[in-house]
Amino acid sequence: MSSTTNSVDIDRDVGNFFYNLTPARDAGVGLSEGTIDYIVDVKGEPEWLREFRKNALHVFMSKPLPTHWAGDELKAIDFDVIRYYLASGESAKRSWEEVPAEIKQTFERLGIPESERKFLAGVEAQFDSEAVYSNIKRAVADQGVIFMGSTEALKERPDIFRKWFGKVIPTGDNKFSSLNSAVFSGGSFIYVPPGIKVKHPLQAYFRINAENFGQFERTLIIADEGSEVMYMEGCTAPKFTTATLHSAVVELVALPGAKIQYITVQNWSPNVFNLVTKRGLALEQAEVKWIDCNIGSRLTMKYPSVVLKGRKARGEVISIALAGDGQHQDTGAKMIHAADETTSNIVSKSISIGKGRATYRGLVHVPKHLRGCKNNTECDALLINASSRTDTYPAITVRGTGNSTQHEASVSQISAEQIFYMQQRGLSEAQAMSLAVNGFVNDLVRQFPMEYSVELKRLIDLEMEGSVG
Amino acid sequence: MSSIVIKDLQVVIGDREIIRGLNLEFSKGEVHAIMGPNGSGKSTLAKVMAGHPDYQVTGGDILLDGESILELEPDVRARRGIFMAFQYPMEIPGVSNANFLRAALLARLPEGEEIDATDFYRLLYQKMDLLDIRREFTARAVNEGFSGGEKKRNEILQMAILEPAFAVLDETDSGLDIDALKVVAKGVNTLRGPNVGILLITHYQRILNYIIPDFVHVMFDGRIVRAGGKELALELESKGYDWLKEIDTEPVGAK
Amino acid sequence: MTTTEPSLILPPLTTAPEWFKELQTRAWAEYEAEPLPVRTNELWRFSSVKNLSLNDYVPAPEFLADAVRLTSRRSYQKPAGRLVFANDALFSAELLDPALKASGVIFTTLADALEKHSTLLRQHFMAQPAKLGSSKFAALHKALVRAGTFLWVPRDAEIQAPFEVFHLVEGDSAAVYPHTLIIADDNSKVTFIEHFVSFDPAQRGFACGVNDLVLKPGSKLTYVSLQEWSQNFVSVQINSTIAARDSVAVNLALNFGGKYSRLESVSRMVDRGARSDMLAVTVARGDQEFDQRTLQDHLQPDTTSDLLYKNALNDRTRTIFSGLIKVEPGAHHTDAYQKVRNLLLSDDAEANSMPGLEILADDVRCTHGATSGQVEPEELFYLKSRGIDDLAAKQLIARGFLNEVVARLPEAELSEYLQRQIEAQL
Repeated sequence: MSSTTNSVDIDRDVGNFFYNLTPARDAGVGLSEGTIDYIVDVKGEPEWLREFRKNALHVFMSKPLPTHWAGDELKAIDFDVIRYYLASGESAKRSWEEVPAEIKQTFERLGIPESERKFLAGVEAQFDSEAVYSNIKRAVADQGVIFMGSTEALKERPDIFRKWFGKVIPTGDNKFSSLNSAVFSGGSFIYVPPGIKVKHPLQAYFRINAENFGQFERTLIIADEGSEVMYMEGCTAPKFTTATLHSAVVELVALPGAKIQYITVQNWSPNVFNLVTKRGLALEQAEVKWIDCNIGSRLTMKYPSVVLKGRKARGEVISIALAGDGQHQDTGAKMIHAADETTSNIVSKSISIGKGRATYRGLVHVPKHLRGCKNNTECDALLINASSRTDTYPAITVRGTGNSTQHEASVSQISAEQIFYMQQRGLSEAQAMSLAVNGFVNDLVRQFPMEYSVELKRLIDLEMEGSVG
Repeated sequence: MSSIVIKDLQVVIGDREIIRGLNLEFSKGEVHAIMGPNGSGKSTLAKVMAGHPDYQVTGGDILLDGESILELEPDVRARRGIFMAFQYPMEIPGVSNANFLRAALLARLPEGEEIDATDFYRLLYQKMDLLDIRREFTARAVNEGFSGGEKKRNEILQMAILEPAFAVLDETDSGLDIDALKVVAKGVNTLRGPNVGILLITHYQRILNYIIPDFVHVMFDGRIVRAGGKELALELESKGYDWLKEIDTEPVGAK
Repeated sequence: MTTTEPSLILPPLTTAPEWFKELQTRAWAEYEAEPLPVRTNELWRFSSVKNLSLNDYVPAPEFLADAVRLTSRRSYQKPAGRLVFANDALFSAELLDPALKASGVIFTTLADALEKHSTLLRQHFMAQPAKLGSSKFAALHKALVRAGTFLWVPRDAEIQAPFEVFHLVEGDSAAVYPHTLIIADDNSKVTFIEHFVSFDPAQRGFACGVNDLVLKPGSKLTYVSLQEWSQNFVSVQINSTIAARDSVAVNLALNFGGKYSRLESVSRMVDRGARSDMLAVTVARGDQEFDQRTLQDHLQPDTTSDLLYKNALNDRTRTIFSGLIKVEPGAHHTDAYQKVRNLLLSDDAEANSMPGLEILADDVRCTHGATSGQVEPEELFYLKSRGIDDLAAKQLIARGFLNEVVARLPEAELSEYLQRQIEAQL
């Protein structure tokens, strides 16, 4: 098989985009206390938040890059040239003519609605979601669900917001969570009242503007006792952005008996460093499920985790990663068992094409004196070409006689014999590869909501086409 | 008459000569059997016809309705109507039998055309019933966890759905017990007709009791060395293959 | 060690050639220059590195205890040869049957080998770098080693009976540096058993050992170690196996002793057809900690490696396993497997597993798995319903759990012998 060209081929030279930048509200480049003040003033945030942000800034400055385990790629990030705050409506634009043909083709192939294409391609800064999704928004509001931007929420509902904000992922958790804590802007806040089961999946789409898709979103979802909610972010279509660093923080709180499913499909343009901290807290009998698909970006480092704090809590991470030429998907999961009879399940499937590199990092921790805890981890890697790379680095700690963990991993490839078999049935080589690759991730793709799973399959087909001659 | 003609075919794998000047012709409506000892090149012949990349043709030609197919990719040959039932069918994890067949059928349709789901399943179930294959097999991944007999029946099911013009069955009987053999044979016999030419490659005569060939060819050391009617199979059954070493090994034309 | 002159610590191998003495001097400098490991280093994650402070250990004094008492019940019936070292000094040598010697087999001490087979030693002595974290200790060993075994098996020689070596220790806070170098020449076949025993099961001590196994094309080597250091011992063992074309290496470690044992094993498959089986059985009791780190390194196509490590954890014990399967670019058609099984037999036991993969070639078959769990209630119930009490039932199950590993050895007689040794431990 020939070497891969990523079918989404934006100019890969970092910083080589040309725009007319006329920001009205721009904090400038680089990060300092001045940047914080600017952000707080422009957004009219309360003083407690100014303190919080400044404290986070100091923590960020004092922490080193995690290169002792994460490798050298992070050294390519130049923190001094990043714009940490760019207000909505003022982000960089390009004309539709400037959008590369492959991207337009991808939109066509994936069936992206016309109305969304210009936004995704970076031609328009806003996407008017009112018309399309207003019915759903109304239904949700009727149920008493609070769904608003982070900035709005911390001003209008500080009672709930402050109770949980920064509790699941404290500022000092890691260098990038502290960065986010310092300069976050955008992201969603959702509160679901007790017993309410939100019928429609809530989407980041509903509240689109450039800020929401900005670099430092902060999302907080609280599902009160017995409630259920599903949240989806991202999309299969390649997302164009000038920003090279995307460092989001997502905190989920599932109170007793509640259930939160958080679905992400990430397809950032290939110049982006996507470093995200995601953690859920599951109390008694509650469940947090992360369904994660990583297709884009130059480097993604993301390890969704669940802290199983209440008895019989359940945590699950379903992860699909596709790494093509020039990409490194460094993903995984962390399950921290902190109560009896908690269960966790991790299923990770990665596909490395061309010179792509997929890495799995996992952590399962079952401490002293817990009883009846179970973990199951399955981690499979598929290599398509000779120069692909896959790594797996799990760490599992178990104590006591009452618990059990199981970790299985495998690496395989699609054999020439399998391809020949399918060709003999009339499928072209590309079709055969697609079918086999889709087969590999099939049972995971089925866990995504319908619209996504169809798009995902198409996207994988597209990527496979690019990789076969 | 629609036919496949193999002329003076020479095939190597690496630096080993396997087929050394083979001549054979079979047409739609006919059932030909090729018998021969292990190592005679029977399976190689099947794979070369299907276009397996491991083998190189160093001489001769294979013509489908007068046109050479040697330059064609395996899937192109398949879409032209050639089907091979594999001796060792592959497992394709995660891809269900139904989806696989659907994809194969779709590949033969012109760009943009769809297959109606109801029609497809109706066809699929009809053929499955014919071959005594249980309904639940549609959702199972291709050949995954199938017994030897189930895999062979699955090959014939695919043949039934894809309706090829020329079917090459590579040792379809190997590894089957009598009951499984009868079911497979029944399947092949139902597909037999004026629209398909069948080349049945086998080591043992047994299957030929159930699928009665029109012509029998004996392959030895990379060539066809004897040809005849169905009685030839019985002759081999009683004499074995050793005597072939003695006879004149000049390549013999078919029919 | 607070001095900077290694020769004040141990009498050096005075008869050693110049190149060796220089090697030792350089090694000492390396040892001093390198800092002790810290837990934040990935290679020492989860490990109780505080155990590695090397103060207050003394060079092992003259061995005064009854060595035969230790060796007699452990000895293999009829070995091809036997060496016994006590406190890093040669105690006894039952050398080979003259026929073996005549055919070119060399089974001798390190000191002797340095004198008589200097070229061979120079080529192979600690030729493999310690990559899994213990480079400081490898340097220490290199600087201070005295007592070691050199075994050379000539081309085509197939030796049925195993060679056997004992390293015994006695004395408060004594330190020893056992060394083993085995070279199996083309198409040869040999088995080797090594024992590490403390005379006093409670006495403090330190061992820093190295063993290097070199398999030439077509050779077969089975190496077994039985570690029975005292409950107060700190042990660092650095092992390497190099498997050439079509060679087969089988490594089995039985770990029973030590307060803190760090065992690093590297297997490198350097040419087509090479195969390495890495096996270990660990029975942890009291407050023991076993830290095992492995590397299955595939450098060429068509190679195989298979790792099976089983740990039975009692009381307040801890185990750490970190195993990396690395398939280098171009090493297509590699088959590599890794399985770690932890049986937790007490509420305070802790098992840490980090099975890893780095795959840079395609067309490989690799699986790894790690499970941790307790005795299956179903199994336990079944045994108890046949009248066996709780404790005995658990022991039976643990025994079966561990024996599966030993059963992997190709030589039945050896398996049985080892099962008896395990029996004595449980």
